[in-house]
Amino acid sequence: MSTTTTTPAPPGAPAAEEKSGRSRFNMNTALVEGRALIALIIIIAIFAILSDNYLTAGNLTTITKQVAFNAIVALGMLLVILNGGIDLSVGSIVGFTAAVAGNLFRGVHVPGTDVTMFPSLWVIIVLSLAVGMLVGWINGLLIARLNLAPFIVTLGMLYVARGLTEVLLNGQNITNELFGQPGLNNTGFFTIFASKPLGLPLAAWVMIILAIIFSIVLNRTPFGRWLYATGSNERAAQLSGVPVTSVKTWIYVLSGLCAAIVGILQMANISSATADLGTFYELNAIAAVVIGGAALSGGRGTVRGTIIGAFVIGFLANGLVIVGVSPFWQKVITGAVIILAVAVDQIQQIAQRRRSAARAVAAAKAAASRREMAGSRS
Amino acid sequence: MITRIAARSLLAGAVLISLAACGGGGSSSAGGQAAPSGAASGGAGTAGGPIAVITVDPSNPYWKAEIDTAQAEFKKLGYEPTTSAHKNDPDTQNQLIETAINDKVKGVLLDPAGADESVAAVQKLVDAKIPVVLINAEISKTGLAKAQVVSNNAQGATLGAEEWAKAMNYKGTFVELFGKPSDNNAQVRSDGYHQVISQYPDLKQVGKEIANWDRQTGQDKMESLLSKNPDVQGVIAGNDEMALGAINALKDKGKLKNVKVLGFDGNPDAVNAVKNGQMVATVLQPIVEGTKKAAGQLDSVIRTGQTGVADEKQALDCTLITKDNADQVNNFVLSGG
Repeated sequence: MSTTTTTPAPPGAPAAEEKSGRSRFNMNTALVEGRALIALIIIIAIFAILSDNYLTAGNLTTITKQVAFNAIVALGMLLVILNGGIDLSVGSIVGFTAAVAGNLFRGVHVPGTDVTMFPSLWVIIVLSLAVGMLVGWINGLLIARLNLAPFIVTLGMLYVARGLTEVLLNGQNITNELFGQPGLNNTGFFTIFASKPLGLPLAAWVMIILAIIFSIVLNRTPFGRWLYATGSNERAAQLSGVPVTSVKTWIYVLSGLCAAIVGILQMANISSATADLGTFYELNAIAAVVIGGAALSGGRGTVRGTIIGAFVIGFLANGLVIVGVSPFWQKVITGAVIILAVAVDQIQQIAQRRRSAARAVAAAKAAASRREMAGSRS
Repeated sequence: MITRIAARSLLAGAVLISLAACGGGGSSSAGGQAAPSGAASGGAGTAGGPIAVITVDPSNPYWKAEIDTAQAEFKKLGYEPTTSAHKNDPDTQNQLIETAINDKVKGVLLDPAGADESVAAVQKLVDAKIPVVLINAEISKTGLAKAQVVSNNAQGATLGAEEWAKAMNYKGTFVELFGKPSDNNAQVRSDGYHQVISQYPDLKQVGKEIANWDRQTGQDKMESLLSKNPDVQGVIAGNDEMALGAINALKDKGKLKNVKVLGFDGNPDAVNAVKNGQMVATVLQPIVEGTKKAAGQLDSVIRTGQTGVADEKQALDCTLITKDNADQVNNFVLSGG
């Protein structure tokens, strides 16, 4: 009370203080993201110098398409990681969704009859996406309601969904059926999902749209705030009235949906539903999220960072091929870049913590001396 | 259950006896469809009982055909086949073989995970006195397996490369998509291709990437290779899946018409691609024929102690599939001939 009387603040002061606090926060995130961005720029510069074919419109389109698949899965993964969880099942959901969609194209035999049903194109798409969400929902229920460890649940689901994919495909790739038959109202899959509106592959557009939606959800809705809150301190969030359980369930549903979208897009991209589709996607997605500055312990991470992280991996993978680095070394380099990115992140975190600790000590000292002065005055 | 246990103890004895007194002559008839083995007399060895079919990966059409054929064949001969897959992982293969030994199977049909890596695993079966016949791929040691029925990858690769080089008019630039490095067939096929290609100095390789036998990886790598070499004229791929991925990438860039693609395996999608002119050729591995042979020889070993074939290593020649004979191929079987 005494401080307010000694320093009469103008009415706008609290707001100004809050604003400056936020801008400092933004600067910090900019630094964290900046690291990924710097890595991206360095990678692009190196490869552009080494090869004339790297920075061409055609190659950039190719990279963007390849990145989009990883980035979309990574966006779902970001939500889960913000919550402090992990979703290892996304790669299998990609494969499973494609297998479900492929089978729907092939027609569903109604048990006990001679009838085979052929759903129309959009019914197939919606049903397949719903299946992906369903798998995510099961993950979410087990994790949120039964309080099982996300790592274990989604690891189990990785096997279950991959196994079901193999059951559905039964050792055959589904290829020709995807073209559909005019009489069955299920044609046009490739004309839509392998299309290139304005010269950019559909997958890239989906990535852009989803990135915008996710960034609005994370920054401007209660759900986003709840998510950051549960990730930073679940108990505190719960006590302050955040619906922790439903937030936790929903992020796995959304992660499943993202994986399902990639399942459909990737099936259109390689023009076939294969049993291996999506293998290791979970690891690429985690790498993108982490390179993008997210903390695996939760509470920290952004959409922008994740997208940049996905581009770092994509530009690197493509560049190594174009420059002609031996395929064996490609893996070594990719892994090293991931570790380096995370190491730099940690060093930055430690430095930041030290800085803010130093600031806090200085502030406390200043406050103490002010109190002393105030005390001596009175 | 009781008959199974009875059968097993009987079989264990039978195997021992048959191994001790090799070559008792094919006395028992294999005709009795799934006849309860307990009913058969314990002579030199009888058909029937559990057989472990251990292969690579049932989710791949090629190995699916192998597994299906093996299952059907063994059932026809009166056995109870169980199937499992090691996905080219020697460690998993080891576990599956130990399981089979504990399960006291009568014989093992194995598609091995690596030529050197599988020797120890096969040795284990030999020590347990369980006869093993290898299918599709070979191991680097002879005298362990009763037979090794393999498709001649080297010969197949030269066939394919010869046809592809002709389509290229013996000149131009090309890239190579290489299979999984841990699978020695990747190297064998690549060597076979290059043995032919090196005879034509005007054919120049401008890129080589590992695509792990996988379609999507093949497509990704091809897209990047295309950015590097926009005017590439040919693609040689170690298997059909990678070749199909490359075709997708080429289609996407509108370049498929000018690029000659070569695949290997003869899987249904690839045969279709050959039919409609997207792929120059693929090489059909006689996997169905080979599996039938291998199953028959394992049955013969169980009954008589001998395969009935002179050589342990039997290489089955591959067949070139071009537009001319593509419509005669149905799920890895070339009809008419």
